[in-house]
Amino acid sequence: MTGELGKHLSEEALDDVLIGLGTAESEAHLAGCAACRAKAEAFAGDVRLFNAASAAWSEARGMRPVVVAAEAPVRRMPFALVGSAAAAVLAIAVGVSVGHHRHGTMRGDGGPGAVEDSQTQIAQDNELLQAVSVAISPQEVSPVDEYGLTARHKKHRKAHPK
Amino acid sequence: MATYPLGSLSTGALEMGATGVPRLESGGAERARTISELDDIDELVRQHQARIRRFAAYSTGDPDLAESITQDTLLRAFRGRDKFRGDCSVSTWLTGIAINVIRDHLRSNRFKFWRQVQAKGVDAQEMASFLPSDAVSQERRMLAQERVKRLYEVLETLSENQRTVFLLKFSEELSVDEISAILGMAVNTVRTHLHRALKAVRGRVGEGI
Ligand SMILES: [Zn+2]
Repeated sequence: MTGELGKHLSEEALDDVLIGLGTAESEAHLAGCAACRAKAEAFAGDVRLFNAASAAWSEARGMRPVVVAAEAPVRRMPFALVGSAAAAVLAIAVGVSVGHHRHGTMRGDGGPGAVEDSQTQIAQDNELLQAVSVAISPQEVSPVDEYGLTARHKKHRKAHPK
Repeated sequence: MATYPLGSLSTGALEMGATGVPRLESGGAERARTISELDDIDELVRQHQARIRRFAAYSTGDPDLAESITQDTLLRAFRGRDKFRGDCSVSTWLTGIAINVIRDHLRSNRFKFWRQVQAKGVDAQEMASFLPSDAVSQERRMLAQERVKRLYEVLETLSENQRTVFLLKFSEELSVDEISAILGMAVNTVRTHLHRALKAVRGRVGEGI
């Protein structure tokens, strides 16, 4: 099949072929039309040259070892912080919960004092969480982010695809 | 669907040397091979560092930033290797991690944007000079280098999304579906970015050569 004048692939149709979304009709036209094929091959040639040059450029920068052991202690600091923060949060949560429980069952009043204590405690907790959040590396997921513990830190971070 | 005529397109030196990236499928034996590949950080570096560095450098335009992105990517991959399920190649998986690392840099404002770093970014002429001598005959070398330089300069003018998608498609040789998955972007959006990038590249690269 030979492409006839005036029936060449549109730029869009040719682009679709180049990106792997061409229709069977476009593919067939390209196979038989030297003019359209020349366009496609010109682009492919440019890409091939670019890839060869950019790959050689990257190779020439040499291999740089990734030292896992040396990196680990540095990276563990935030994790340790995360760990202790999580523990602190847990302890606080348990504390607050137990506090509420005790107010409810032992004192039996659940009065304004109890509420005020809780709010103060929550404010302190939030300060602590904020300090922890600031202290940890931005690459790491903070316990605040991870568990959505406060309204102001809701954003989750996707660490890996799939 | 076959990709014409880029299906047979070489990724250049990456395939010429020992750093060729096998396209692994999720078979039993191949998965085992993949897992052992991921268990060896030196092997990961040997197989994938140059390719990741290239992608990072040409998508961000910052060779120095590309080094730290590459190191970070390989380290994250090694530490998160248990999360690799074998439903794509290691190469594609690593590219996805690299994209996330780049995004993290963007979010944390430690990233220097493409246009702001052009002064100390990848030098187009220098990059073109790396064109392997076996990629083109000597007499056509100057012309070929000019074509490389021109393509690179057009990439610089694209939006970040257009450039990233273009590199994923034509340098990393991912399918539109894979790009869609890796970027979390609708297939039609990927297609639109590719069309715009192609329009710019095909429209300008041949000018005056
Ligand atoms: Zn035609």
